[in-house]
Amino acid sequence: MNNKINTSLFVACQQCDALYDKPHLKQGQLAKCNRCGSTLIERKVDSIERSFNWSLAGLMLMLPAIMLPIMGVTLAGQFHQASLFDCILVLIDRGFFMIASLVFLFAIAVPIVRLAGALYISYSFKFNKLRPSLLNFFRAYHHLDNWAMLNVFMLGIVVSMYKLIDDTELSVNLGLLAFIFWLICSTMSAVALDQDYIWDKLEKAFAKAEVQDENS
Amino acid sequence: MKTAKQLNLTLCPKCHKLNSLKAEPQQCSRCNGKFYQRKRNSLQYTLAWNLAALLAFIPANLYPIMIVYQLGIGDEATILSGIGEFIDHGLYPIAVIIFTASIIVPLLKIIGLFVLVYKAYTGIRLKPDKHSKIYHILEVLGPWSMLDVFVVALMVTVVELGFVTSVAAGPAINYFTITVIFTMFAANSFDPRLLWDKKADKKSVIQAPSLSDNLSGEIPRNKG
Repeated sequence: MNNKINTSLFVACQQCDALYDKPHLKQGQLAKCNRCGSTLIERKVDSIERSFNWSLAGLMLMLPAIMLPIMGVTLAGQFHQASLFDCILVLIDRGFFMIASLVFLFAIAVPIVRLAGALYISYSFKFNKLRPSLLNFFRAYHHLDNWAMLNVFMLGIVVSMYKLIDDTELSVNLGLLAFIFWLICSTMSAVALDQDYIWDKLEKAFAKAEVQDENS
Repeated sequence: MKTAKQLNLTLCPKCHKLNSLKAEPQQCSRCNGKFYQRKRNSLQYTLAWNLAALLAFIPANLYPIMIVYQLGIGDEATILSGIGEFIDHGLYPIAVIIFTASIIVPLLKIIGLFVLVYKAYTGIRLKPDKHSKIYHILEVLGPWSMLDVFVVALMVTVVELGFVTSVAAGPAINYFTITVIFTMFAANSFDPRLLWDKKADKKSVIQAPSLSDNLSGEIPRNKG
């Protein structure tokens, strides 16, 4: 079998391993696998600019979304409200460590790290400050893909509001608005980030491994 | 249709760069990450995580998930009895959402992955295009079963009015989160490319029966 295949001329499907010639896409186009229908390569419009702006907005919204109270209840003359941060404090206080750490991880830590990561990557590309450490950084960034659950938490808020509205007086606070915007920003910044483009650029910038291959 | 494996190429799972296979684990020429041509022992890992998830799902349904204290008297509710209460109160949309997220999705995921592992192992009535779509759906659905955990966490926090009303989480919540996380691990460790490999294997065996039959029963697994 011919081992001298120029690997940069081909792409393989991530889901079924089918091999294709690498398509040349314009912005906004995407290529799909003929066999299993999953996306092979996507070229997103204005990727760097967009993800930079979305992640910056997301990081600014982070503090209000976490610290402002999301909703409050009035029952028998008593009023009590809670923010996302209170949520974790109360859960720790009452000894539910597992849920506390889960809420912290999936609804606070992972989204923040993802936003900060997207910001750092798009910042380095925007101002052309590419460093070799970005390779490791962007690879690590992909590990978090599955674990941001802000959207599930949002549905959780809706469900528990529906639950509470039945037999208590429910008040909605600014925190909910901030949380919704935060959710939108973090989703958009992840969607806007064009992985194929970023990897291509990084490869061109640090193609030392490629050179070693040819020498050996 | 040619696959990358037939040409001795491998795709980096992180940066999607094609590499020509030299040694396993292969180091990616673009992102320097180490990886294998197929996920290693994919079916075994999936099966193990899946079994663990199934086991944890039993106590998750037997123990109470939420305890509501009103004037000092506790009222325990399991996942199913909580859904029953919603139906009694006439809150049908919530009942449907909770039932889907905390019963149907985990069960569907566990059963679906068992079926996928079985099909990928034996190759009986294997339709890779259909089954890889099923896998994709299972993967996307995964995090949504976390819903119940978040709802309980929010209820515990918001409804905290001292003696009058307070909510506590029951032991089932821990088992339930374990179930959800294990099914996510199971889905992550499954490699849908094995389905296509198996199909291709079977075809080549039919076309060339002179190949040793024993090989066809083996999973296309990598040696480490």
